[in-house]
Amino acid sequence: MTTAAENAQVAKSPSNGGGELKNWLLDRAPFLVACVMLCALVAVYGVLRDGVFSLAELNIDTAAALTLLLAATGQTIVLLRGGIDLSIGGVISLGTVLAATQMGDNPWSATFWVLLVLAAGALVGFVNGVLITVLKLQPFLVTLATWSILSGAALIVLPTDGGALPTAWMAFGNATWLGLSSSVWLLAGLICFWLWFRRSRLGVAIRATGSNERSAFLSGVSPLWINVATYGLSGLFAALAALYLTTQTGAGSPTIGKDYILPSVTAAVIGGLSLFGGRGGLIGTTIGAFILTIIGNLVFVLRVSSYWQPIVSGVILLIAVLASSTAEKSARNSLT
Amino acid sequence: MNLLRNRAIVLAYVGMAVLLALTSIASPGFLAVSHLRSLVVLAAFIGIVALGQTFVIIAGGIDLSVPWVLNCAAVLMTVAAKGQDQPLFWIVPLLLIAGALTGAVNGIGVAMFGVPPIIMTLAMNVILQGGILVYTGGAPPATSPPAIQYLAVGRFAGIPVILILWLVLTALATLLLSKTAFGRYVYAVGTSATVSEFSGVPVRQTIVLVYTLSGFTAALAGMLLTGYTGQAYLGMGDPYLFTSIAAVAIGGASILGGSGHYIGTIAGAFVLTILTGLLPALNLSNGALLIVYGLVILVTVSLSSEAVPTIAAWSGEYFRTAKSLSMRSDHDPN
Amino acid sequence: MADLLTVTGVIKHYGGIIALSDANLCARAGEVHALLGENGAGKSTLIQILSGAVRADGGAITLEGADYHPRNPVAAQRSGVSAVFQELSLIPDLTVEQNIWFRREPLSVFGTVRSGELRKATTNLLEEFGFPGLRPSQEVRRLTLAERQIVEVAKALARDPKVLILDEATSALAAKETEWLLGLARRFAKAGRLVIYISHRLAEVRQIADRVTVLRNGATVAAYETKAVDDETIITDMLGRRMDRLFPERHATAGNRVALQVRGLTVGHRLVGVDFDLKEGEVLGVGGLQGHGQWELFQSLYGIGSCKGAIELLGRPVAITSPRKALAGQNGMALVPEDRRNHGLLLTKSVRENLTLSVVSRFTRFGLTDAKRERALVDEMITSLKIKVGSPEQIAGTLSGGNQQKVIFGKMLLTDARVLLLYDPTRGIDVGTKGEIFQLMRDLAAKGYAILFYSSDPPELVHVADRILVLRNGRRAAILEGDDRTEREILRAAMIETQGAA
Repeated sequence: MTTAAENAQVAKSPSNGGGELKNWLLDRAPFLVACVMLCALVAVYGVLRDGVFSLAELNIDTAAALTLLLAATGQTIVLLRGGIDLSIGGVISLGTVLAATQMGDNPWSATFWVLLVLAAGALVGFVNGVLITVLKLQPFLVTLATWSILSGAALIVLPTDGGALPTAWMAFGNATWLGLSSSVWLLAGLICFWLWFRRSRLGVAIRATGSNERSAFLSGVSPLWINVATYGLSGLFAALAALYLTTQTGAGSPTIGKDYILPSVTAAVIGGLSLFGGRGGLIGTTIGAFILTIIGNLVFVLRVSSYWQPIVSGVILLIAVLASSTAEKSARNSLT
Repeated sequence: MNLLRNRAIVLAYVGMAVLLALTSIASPGFLAVSHLRSLVVLAAFIGIVALGQTFVIIAGGIDLSVPWVLNCAAVLMTVAAKGQDQPLFWIVPLLLIAGALTGAVNGIGVAMFGVPPIIMTLAMNVILQGGILVYTGGAPPATSPPAIQYLAVGRFAGIPVILILWLVLTALATLLLSKTAFGRYVYAVGTSATVSEFSGVPVRQTIVLVYTLSGFTAALAGMLLTGYTGQAYLGMGDPYLFTSIAAVAIGGASILGGSGHYIGTIAGAFVLTILTGLLPALNLSNGALLIVYGLVILVTVSLSSEAVPTIAAWSGEYFRTAKSLSMRSDHDPN
Repeated sequence: MADLLTVTGVIKHYGGIIALSDANLCARAGEVHALLGENGAGKSTLIQILSGAVRADGGAITLEGADYHPRNPVAAQRSGVSAVFQELSLIPDLTVEQNIWFRREPLSVFGTVRSGELRKATTNLLEEFGFPGLRPSQEVRRLTLAERQIVEVAKALARDPKVLILDEATSALAAKETEWLLGLARRFAKAGRLVIYISHRLAEVRQIADRVTVLRNGATVAAYETKAVDDETIITDMLGRRMDRLFPERHATAGNRVALQVRGLTVGHRLVGVDFDLKEGEVLGVGGLQGHGQWELFQSLYGIGSCKGAIELLGRPVAITSPRKALAGQNGMALVPEDRRNHGLLLTKSVRENLTLSVVSRFTRFGLTDAKRERALVDEMITSLKIKVGSPEQIAGTLSGGNQQKVIFGKMLLTDARVLLLYDPTRGIDVGTKGEIFQLMRDLAAKGYAILFYSSDPPELVHVADRILVLRNGRRAAILEGDDRTEREILRAAMIETQGAA
């Protein structure tokens, strides 16, 4: 029974035209702030280092950002649903070690293992979704547990960093086509996926369920399927991240995954995603991922200790969240 | 909820006992006094960090900044004391206060600014990490003073000093949770901050205080841990994030807040420590241990959640959901 | 004409509570059929069964002659039954049109939503039924409660139902929108469909309903042609013969001291410049159509949200910035909220913990709680309020609504507050407990408590309050005393503009 609570939160007089622009801006404030931040960072970076607006720079930066971005894509979907996925750390670790130890030089076995890693990622997500729905457990705990299990598996497969990947695979990582690196093309593909996904019924349903779970379920969204789809996609993208990472590093690492978990959330939140669910998108997350990457670049170029990078990321994260929660509060108190 | 809490805590202790029995079968020397003693000492570290985490989780939040609060306190202590006992008199209280203040900042961010706990404490963790790395330049700092080492590994009348410390903290924590107004408020805020607000409970103060406490215990654990290992090293706090949360969850607290108790967390700490002890005992690799950790978490939270009755009634799940969501929350025509 | 929908002997129970014992309904296509009954009579349960949210435990329902047993709301909708409830089921972060067509969006060959078609369908729908002032691209979270209610109606209509159920759909609407909705119901029925209309407002029922069915205590007690029955008969059917026992005797208990003085209370534009005095020993009722500032009034007095204006408690000006401050001190103000689940009780905690939540310091010595003293307070409250519990350790969520409300009362009565803010305290509660609560209110007034009492049910105000403050559009429309305390006067003040008022 939330009528009174709704009364407390809902504006009383009808929205008007002039207020609509203001509302539109307020709704997107965190995202716009992120855009401005990215421009500022790029500008600063451009001043400090020539050639920043070149194709080569774009290629390099995209390659640096793409692993995080792939991981963050899955996380974005989960966060939109109102959950969280810590297990991507395990999927990424396990993915890289499987690739580094199993792919071999035979193109058939390589393809097989690529598909297997992808399927495994999706399967992990599937399991997460089932456990969350059927056992009614909190996503935080379930994915924490599966992360642990997968990390353990990764350590068993490959106790220390190592392994090797086929040269053809590595070549893909450096390949260019029409002057743009494979990473840029993958980024384009990712954006296309998103543009499709957010207009698909599943995408709308995921957003809806994150926005108001009860209403969504009453309208016929199946709790089991929505969770399975959400976490399954997250696992799939984590697997993609793992595979892409191996094209950059050429090795497998059983512990690398944990370095992507919280940054994936950070990138999404910086990009304007609301942790309550229902608001946000990949465009914002992409901007967030690039912001984090450029900060790393800046730290390097400024010859400051690289340890400044997490500090700056943390501060930016807090700013982004504060901006986002201010925007939320304005939506609740609108027209007062 | 009292009943449920007890059931979960009892389950945790039963689980611990079973685990103990199993490992002593698998590895005969397990129950030797000296081994048990070191087990308790190791569990104490988890227990101390998890003390603050327990309060935070019961209040409905979570503290992800524990690793680097711990580490900062450890590093700063060794750097400032330079191996001498004397400076500890002002260093230890100062660092405990610093840890508490860090926690307070977390709490203020969550309570006053509405920053979600995951983000606030995560950002804090990362900022502290960067900060201490910049400060030390990444180089491992000095060794710890003897006094701290005594606290960590020494014995008093045959009992490890740290155990005495842990018992004192346990008593205080239990008292706080069960017999003070503050304890009531912690449970209330974790159950529903809105209802608490409407009932005149000092919600914001409570939230700030639980995070303050967590910062305090993390700093304390950091300094004690330095005594145990002999020196502070970078990354020493990382394992305690997982273990502090796991200990609380295994101990029967709901991750959403409102239920649980530190007594349960203690069982959780022991469960985790025993499992770690399985490593050499069963020749388990690090990896296998992590898998076991994960499974243990899944099993224990499933048992203490509503999972069992839910699975039994799954076919009727939709209608139960509909009923509990029905407009008029009561149907009482009489 | 054959019946479109028949309900025969439907039964529904929740654990030990019988919500429906013998519900019957015969409704035809082409009519507006009103369902009447007071809160707790079983109307909502019956509607939930019809709309598929809940399954009946016995009895038979037929739709167009065939058995009708929807497994869930979606199945019900596919069978052609759409319901609009008071508790909305919209998705705030989606737009109006996304909400209307949720899960039924037109898809392209790629599986994406065809926005052009979506927009066309939406505008067609809105135009066909003359929906006032809705824009398809607006995000629902930016809409007022009234606008959201209208979107719910659009959502139901979009399914082209054979049976449209409107459950108190006008409660959040202003006069113009109410007229539109009533007109819509009539037109929809005329087009050969069935509209089942639930409302407490007899005037509306008379305006549009062809027939009425009355429920009482979970059973259908009567069904009439609207034209052939008068209000008195309907009310008697609804209440049985217990109307006289529902309301307590009212003695003049108002003292002379002003407990609470409010001047110029303003909350944005939802509450504007409200003045009133509340005396010790007085029950001041607050009336008006729902959503006209009543909740803002109570909220701001209790320290929730910001407000402007001057408030004095027993002559002392106070600045109340939080409930904690409101409750503090020797002359605090306590609030019994309407929303038991989200505002009033910790449902997973025991009755004891709930009762003592606001007064923990009363049984704390040297910082530690004293279980014996706590128990004494708890027992005293349970006895004096006649709260039906097996033991104080019983979980609050397992109590009936009436007993839950008593626990909330108890919690507030344990504080030192002498001014009570009661916001719809008897909503959704059985008749028996309602009577007890009204008696409690008068008893408290006799003891010198000052009570501000809002009810969404005007008769309650008429029979329990000493004076009635009516709000309209957030302003004070009237203060009714003496013989002016009638439902008619409340409604008049609530709905009709007098000269000079904005």
